[in-house]
Amino acid sequence: MTRWTEEEEEDHALAAEYVLGLLSPEESRAFEARLAVDPEFRALVAVWTEDIAAMAAALPEETPPPRIEAAIRRRLFPEEGQGWLRRLGLLPALIGGFVAALIVLWTTDLGLLQAPPEPLYAASVAAEDGSLVILAHFDPRSGELRLHRQAGTPSPGRSQELWLIAGEAPPVSLGLVPESEESLLTVPEGLRAAMAGGLLAITDEPPGGSPSGTPSGAPIAVGSLTAG
Amino acid sequence: MTSRQAEIEQMIARMAMGDRQALSALYAATSAKLFAIAVRVLEDRTEAEDALQDIYVKIWHNADRYQVNGLSPMTWLITIARNHAIDRLRARRRARPAPLDEAAELADLSPSPEEQAAAASMRSRIEDCLRRLQPEKADAVRRAYLRGETYEDLARRYGIPLNTIRTWLRRSLLKLRECLGP
Repeated sequence: MTRWTEEEEEDHALAAEYVLGLLSPEESRAFEARLAVDPEFRALVAVWTEDIAAMAAALPEETPPPRIEAAIRRRLFPEEGQGWLRRLGLLPALIGGFVAALIVLWTTDLGLLQAPPEPLYAASVAAEDGSLVILAHFDPRSGELRLHRQAGTPSPGRSQELWLIAGEAPPVSLGLVPESEESLLTVPEGLRAAMAGGLLAITDEPPGGSPSGTPSGAPIAVGSLTAG
Repeated sequence: MTSRQAEIEQMIARMAMGDRQALSALYAATSAKLFAIAVRVLEDRTEAEDALQDIYVKIWHNADRYQVNGLSPMTWLITIARNHAIDRLRARRRARPAPLDEAAELADLSPSPEEQAAAASMRSRIEDCLRRLQPEKADAVRRAYLRGETYEDLARRYGIPLNTIRTWLRRSLLKLRECLGP
């Protein structure tokens, strides 16, 4: 232990004690205060954390029962599980009868089927500094999304990818934005309903688009689709 | 950084953007590891299942803080899992204090042959280095990390005065660091 000064020994021992949870609450507080202002000390603690965590990483894996993942999703995204069955279960209690509930559901359903022609939607997908502006017009019946490039082109050797962000759902790719001034994309049927009120975003991607299927970086231009 | 680590890092980054599919991918890739930690710490599968839920809820909510903490992604996940399981264990001990010399507490914490094999396959430096310490000192390090034992607990366990045990363990921790390298 000759290569360390007393101070260095003290720091190493303290860092290890902190990572192992051996410090008293007061000591931990003093330790964390120092951690916040001392980057070298922080690096030392990171090294200890990595090494000690390897103890846990070496434990043989144990597969948790499948219901645990479902329980986690219910806690994080309660709306995901609210399908028809669930609503059928809840509504009777609210309006006092199962049959009445069914009728309400039926008429709501029919009402949706006979909805008046849907409006067209438009968005101006623009960068904050105006370096990229693309106007988008969406027809929910045909699924046609017309793009009009008003400003900006992709960087050389890069592609621009268009994403739909609807509510809390992860961004869904609508395809690459062609370089031409006017272009036409077709929105898959399953996505058309989510377009209304959704957010359109454009990201800078490698040629051919994001390799992972999710945006590689922050959007360079955004705009929301509103009924026009 | 290995490609697996890079993948996990990407999943965390996508979760920070609200990508729910990334949570499923991360769960598939890491839940068996984190569940093993919860089971080991809590020694109770039902409670470990509850803990695992809390752990992933925490990971989801804190995904956006990952980039700034400078830890490898697995270490970050393991630390969240371990700390949460230890918090639960301590709360349980406070709720129904059990004498530390209870049979369960005397469980041998040295790695089982299965664990040793797993550790060897990971070429875990820490296990190699722990083996170079005196067995009870290595045991004390494991007990602190995996069972949340305090200096008071360890002093009682080994029948060593409280002020002595700290000097005793600190010296072992420095030896451990020398073995682990910088």
